[in-house]
Amino acid sequence: MSARRHPSEERLLAFEAGTLSAPEAVVVATHLALQPQTRAWTHLARAVGGAVLEEQEPSPLKAGALESILARLDDAEPRPDLAVTRPRNTDTSLPAPLRGFELGPWRWAGPGVHVRNVLGPRDGDCRVILLRIASGQSAPRHTHNGVELTCVIEGAYATQDGVFEPGDFEEADPSVLHQPRVVSDTPCLCVAALDGQIVLPGRLGKILAPFVRL
Amino acid sequence: MVSQPPRDFSALIALVAQAKDRAAFAEIFGYYGPRIKALLIKSGSAPAMAEELAQEAMLTVWRKAASYDPARASVSAWIYTIARNLRSDALRRGSSALYAFDSTFGAEAPAQPDAIVSGAQDDACVRAAMRSLNPDQAQAIEMAFYQEQTHSQISQALGVPLGTVKARIRFGMMKLRAFIERETGGRA
Repeated sequence: MSARRHPSEERLLAFEAGTLSAPEAVVVATHLALQPQTRAWTHLARAVGGAVLEEQEPSPLKAGALESILARLDDAEPRPDLAVTRPRNTDTSLPAPLRGFELGPWRWAGPGVHVRNVLGPRDGDCRVILLRIASGQSAPRHTHNGVELTCVIEGAYATQDGVFEPGDFEEADPSVLHQPRVVSDTPCLCVAALDGQIVLPGRLGKILAPFVRL
Repeated sequence: MVSQPPRDFSALIALVAQAKDRAAFAEIFGYYGPRIKALLIKSGSAPAMAEELAQEAMLTVWRKAASYDPARASVSAWIYTIARNLRSDALRRGSSALYAFDSTFGAEAPAQPDAIVSGAQDDACVRAAMRSLNPDQAQAIEMAFYQEQTHSQISQALGVPLGTVKARIRFGMMKLRAFIERETGGRA
């Protein structure tokens, strides 16, 4: 059986309910930008949000709220539209949801591996990185300390579960030693949400540990 | 108060978009404003913040009425999304970028032959689908919208394992989708 390539239904519902942590939401949003067919689920989740809204016991707004809003309608200068939010980085090859964040510098993180931070979306120890791995290279062997969500942006990598291509979403199993290998001719670019530090096992891990903070 | 027949909010939004009709807007405001405030309070916003965001959401409805496409989303889903985006933006920086790319419910992407699009635009169909769920599934899905509820908080509140909560939401969502596809005949 091939591994699933999209977020679970419960994760998509949490994304649309606005309750997913910011780093996880970044990876889910990237997947949705690259894989429009998954949006059938998120649009369903919004419809459910609408149904939940409809069924609320109304909580009255302040007296005079309507009048004060009506008075503001004329000078309601359209605010900057969400859909044209100013990009905060110059990497036009990135999917739209990632353009809204500043990026840290690329750093070396092992043979053929570079990482850069996506600045902003954090939740405790959980944060977002871009990972670029050269063709034929593997990410350093690592086990997972907490959940790791990954979405491929360019190129492809393979794990024991199969090949992951642009738009594919992977939820790492914390019990599995994870060593994706890049199988595309070009480098593989991924966005990942990491919770805690990646633990690099073995001798290489010990050597790299002082230098590599993934 | 005598309960009123459901109004056609889609037509009211069209009046706002085309004619800047204030009476139509007042009607939308009277119905959705207090419901947005109630949902935001249940989602953990302080009452003053919920009031402010509800008013801001209604102002956004006025400004963006022309972008509402009844073929893409129900009025309630559209207004829910506006309120959700405002709340996310108030809570965390940069979240506008996360939701902006699909703020038009896929209008920027080529239309897909997908029954969810045609079914999810129909409030009555979605509510009927919700009623078709078993109570445990409906409750887990509803709770996912409240109180910044993470799945583990829902699990604690209900006293059931985390895996059970996830399974209820997952199978509930699948059942909703199947129900809507069946009711709308799978047409685009």
